[in-house]
Order: sequence, then C-alpha cells, then structure tokens
Amino acid sequence: MVECEVRVVNRLGLHARAAAKLVRTASGFQSAVRIERADRAGAADAKSILSVLVLAAARGTELKVTADGADERAALEAVRGLFTSGFGESDE
Amino acid sequence: MSRKKGRREERWRGAAVSDGVAVGRVLRIHGGGRHNIYRVALEPPEVEREVRRYRAAVRLSRRQLLALKKRAARTLGDEHAYIFDAHLLMLEDRKLNEDVEQIVRHQRVNSEWAVKVVTDRLLAVYDEIKDDYLRERSSDIEDVTQRLLVALSGESLPSRRLTEDACLVAEELMPSTIAELDFARVKAVATDVGGWTSHTAIIARGLGIPAVVGLRDFYRHARTGDALVVDAQRGEVILHPSPETLEAARARLSLASAAAARPAEDERAPSRTADGVEITLHANVELPAEYGGVRRYGARGIGLFRSEFLLTQRGVMPDEDEQCAAYEELLRVAGEDGATVRLFDLGGDKSGGVMLEAGDERNPALGLRAIRFCLRREDVLRTQARALMRAASKGRLDLVLPMISDITDVRRARRVIEEERSRLAEEGKQTGPVRVGAMIEVPAAALVADRLAREVDFFSLGTNDLVQYTLAVDRANDEVADWFRTLHPAVLQSIARSLEAARAAGIPTVVCGEMAATPVYAVVLVGLGARSLSMAPSSIPRVRRALAGVSAAEAEGVARGCLECATADDAEELVRARFGELWPDLFPPQTLPPLKTKG
Repeated sequence: MVECEVRVVNRLGLHARAAAKLVRTASGFQSAVRIERADRAGAADAKSILSVLVLAAARGTELKVTADGADERAALEAVRGLFTSGFGESDE
Repeated sequence: MSRKKGRREERWRGAAVSDGVAVGRVLRIHGGGRHNIYRVALEPPEVEREVRRYRAAVRLSRRQLLALKKRAARTLGDEHAYIFDAHLLMLEDRKLNEDVEQIVRHQRVNSEWAVKVVTDRLLAVYDEIKDDYLRERSSDIEDVTQRLLVALSGESLPSRRLTEDACLVAEELMPSTIAELDFARVKAVATDVGGWTSHTAIIARGLGIPAVVGLRDFYRHARTGDALVVDAQRGEVILHPSPETLEAARARLSLASAAAARPAEDERAPSRTADGVEITLHANVELPAEYGGVRRYGARGIGLFRSEFLLTQRGVMPDEDEQCAAYEELLRVAGEDGATVRLFDLGGDKSGGVMLEAGDERNPALGLRAIRFCLRREDVLRTQARALMRAASKGRLDLVLPMISDITDVRRARRVIEEERSRLAEEGKQTGPVRVGAMIEVPAAALVADRLAREVDFFSLGTNDLVQYTLAVDRANDEVADWFRTLHPAVLQSIARSLEAARAAGIPTVVCGEMAATPVYAVVLVGLGARSLSMAPSSIPRVRRALAGVSAAEAEGVARGCLECATADDAEELVRARFGELWPDLFPPQTLPPLKTKG
C-alpha cells in the first residue's frame, strides 16, 4: 500500500466536476483508492462519486490518499496529479 | 379562469442572480423528487425480478443522461455539460446500487422505496455540509433520484413544449430540467431556493435571462398561466401585476432591451454620452452560449476572450490546429471589429497531460500563473501564439498578456512570439498581424504604466484583479467582503494613472471586469478617461443606456472628486450624493453603492 498527502487547491473544492474527474481517474486503476480527511472527519472510496462528494472537501482541506493493489503507484501519482493541478480549473 | 380578473397584485423579494426584467406567464416546473413513495412488500419469488427492474431503470436513465449531456454540450457548451457526467457517475455508483439492491433483497421491498431510503440517508449527510457550494450539490443527487423514480414508474419524462412567454417557476430547478427545456424560449426564472452558484444562476447568466432565487414560498402561490413580472434589477417577482405595474415593467423592459429591439444599424451605432463622447462597448465571452449575445446586444467585437476555457472545456490542452479553429470561430462571432484573446491564465497546474513541477502553492493568486506560467512553459506559449497568428490571417485578432508585473515579462513574451512569426513565415504558413497588449491588473504594472505603454500596442485593464491585488482582498472570501471596495481611491488612482499613460503613449485602453459592466462604475470609468469598455454581452444595453444619459464632463468632475477622497467610504458617499443630484432618474438609490461599515 502507498499513500501521500494532498491539499485541495481549486477554488470550488471537490465539487461535482472535480469529483467526477477524480472518480473517472481512480476507476481506471485496479487498485483500491481511498481518500481520507486529515482531520479524520471522513473517508471515501475514490471510485464512488457519492462517497467523494460527502467528504465535503472545500478549498484548503488536507487529505490523505492511499492506493492498494497491483498498480498502486501509478494510481497514487494520477490522483495526486489531479489535486496539485487544481483539477485543471482556472482560478477565477 | 374567472379568478384571473381582479386578482390582487402580490410581491416576493429574493436574490437576483442574473440581471434583467421580464414580463410573461408562469410555467410551474415540478422540480424536486418530492413524490409520495410507497413501500410495497414483495413475495420472495418477486425479489430477483425487482432487482432486474431496478437495473433496467438505471440503464434507461443512463441513456437519457448520455443524450442530455450531448445536447447540453451542443447548446450550452461543454462547460455546462460536465454536470451530467457527474450524474452518470452517480447512477453508476457502486455504493448506491449495492445499497439499493441489498435493501430490495433483504427487506423484500420495491425499488422505489429502496431508492428513497438510500438517497434520504445520503441527503441527510449532505445537509450537514458547511460549504455552500458543496452543499448545493445535493440537488444533483435529488435530480438523479428523481430520474430513477420516473424511469421506475415507466412513465416517460413530460415533454416540455414552451410558450413564447414562459417564466419558469419552481421550488428548485434541477440542472437536467433546465437542459431538457427548450431554454432558448425561456424568458425568466424564479425559484424558492438556490444561490449565486446554483446551476440555475450560472445558466441564466449564460443565456442573459433574468433570474431571482430565494423566494421562499412563491412556488405554491403561483399557478401556470398566471401573469408575472420577474424584475432582477430590483430582486423581486410580482404575481398578478396590476395594469399600472405591467405598464411600468414594460417600460423598463423596453429600455432594458432597447439595443436588442432596435434595427440592426442602430444596434451597431456607437454608444455616446449625452455630451457626444463616443464610448465603444465590447463583449467579454467565454462560453459558446454567450456567442449569440455579441451581435444581439450590439457589441463592437470581442474585448476579452478568456482562452483558458478552451482547456477547461476539453479537459486537455488543445493543439495548434484546434486552437486556430477556435480563434477563427471567435473571429466569425466578433465580425469586423475583431477579438482580443487573453493568453491562457492558468495556475501552476497540469496542462495537456504534462505536469508542471509546481506542487502545492501556498498562495496560488500570487503564484506561478498567467504570464509566469506561459514563460515557464514556453511550449504552451509558442503553440498559442502560432495558432493566434495563423487565425489572424482571417480577421483582426489581438493578444493580451495577463498578469504583467514587470516589463521584462513583456519583452520575453514578445521575443518568443516574434520567433514563432519568423518560423511560420519560413514554413510558408499564412499569418496576420497580431497586436500585443498588457493586462493591467497588478499594482506594479499601474505604477510603471508610462514605461510599459511604450512596449505594448494596447492596455487591458482587468479591474477585478486590480481591486483584489491593490487592496490585498480575496473577492471570494466573504469574511473580507467589506474590504473589497471598487471605489477605493487607491484603485481609482491606479486606473487613472494607467489610462493617462496609455493616452500619452498614443495607445488604446479597454477596461474589462465587472466594474465596466456596472452602470454606476462605468460612468466613473468614463469620468476617469476610459473610452472603451468590455463586459458580458447581456450587460451592454444597460451600460449603453446609462452612458447615453450622462455627460462625460460631469462624470469627470465626479471622478476627480473621488480621486481626491481619503477613504473608500468618502468616495462612495460622493458618488451617492453627486449621482443622486445629477441623474436621479437614471440612478435610483438601489443602483448606487450601498452604505458599508466595516466590522
């Protein structure tokens, strides 16, 4: 199992579009991918949009991502990339 | 029917989230999934059939959503279609489907009941969310639930043929309801709940139709066919308007749509102040849904195209040919007045699948974005510059460099652009001249505006960021909203200084940003010396109207006074007092900056 810490940087947080991107990305891997709030207020299966949305991760939220499975490293990098890029959203 | 006559006029106040006035008739839309759902106990042999029935409903809903997504992408732009991607994922969500099927099997109940139990549980969790924007997404869950329930009922979705004067009235409009409607004919929207960031608001603004939300109990009082005035300028709706109210609303409406109603030549006529000073009005555009408004509202071309939307629409960095095609399309929309394209204003982020080693920025607004990003990622800049120069062979296209804080950035960008120009010439590609301008949105740029003006072909004043950076206030942060003061003397001095520097160097300045779209501020801008404004197309008629009613000389007097003020409070007070004296009919009190006290 591999893990990393990320922060939500895009202005609208993990809203529907960002969550959709996350779920599409995570679902492309075999590994189980989980997202947990650093404040331990919630955890989500990154392949379930309903579970991701309920995390209510607004901008600035610190999260821990874990991936477990055959392609765990690639999965972790892909998910980390989404967060650091602010889900490709411009900051307006 | 007889009740229509003599019904007393009734008013509801709400929050205006998209400007304008409309007179029409109520079309009630039953929005929420608030059907009565009954629990039906199943015999053991029926259980597997019930699960299959549920799965069939999911498949049907899925097909509907795929079709909707396509339609929304075509008519509203991919920007609005993404929401259906989220709906599709919800529909395919393992958690939802496993939970529903488990309840059907274990409790031996009908699918409708199981769906209700599962989604009620989810919605209860959502209600706890503190962030407004994220909490509003519960409407997406309700939307998907509703679709599933309709699919289970075996009914088809009601067809939505609209009359010409339909004003949608709902408790809450679901995104899919809006997309399923023939929204080109919708005149206005009025809902009991919703906020500035709801899809209803975003789409209404995109279409340029008035929308008032937060009307609490309006829906249950309105009946389809009732006469209605939706007045987003005053943030109210009027049911059963009296003949006098109707007349007043129509008068305001005809003023509001004066530009749209006039014959084509008039529409294109220059906007002038009462003392004959010409002010050119251009359009800011981002979404395809707004393209139609450029001509409709008589814009003189496109003053600002935020090109990063090409990227967010597609999700990947468009290549040179794709960009070139997009800019040519923009030129067709803009007509002979041409278009100004702002270089990608991207944060430290991934573009075209290539990661930039930006990592988490502690302070993205001050980080690696806009011109800094373009210079770091020269390949991105080169591709965009090439596409722009090629498209410019088809019409007048200008390019503006965002977030300039140092003239060196301009020189570096120009060098790259010139290199690509020679390269395109060597390749034998057809190009056109592209003028290069600088965005003035950082105080540093305003302070060296005189020198900057000698190195570019024009200025674009980005007032939103200029206010934010000059006053060090995040405009998205409600906690400091009282510090975000457009009329702060420091802001006005930066604007005046930049305008003066451009004039002295003989280059034009176009003012973009929300300031230009707000009539009272537009008048102040003209007073400061602005002669060219760019705004959302739907804002053009009201700004044109305001400018036609004021004299530039008097506006200059007020603006000079504001520059002398010590505080934002003083400047706002001066504007309230002077505008009230000079143009009381044009600027009733609610259109002027409200009294604010910090704390």
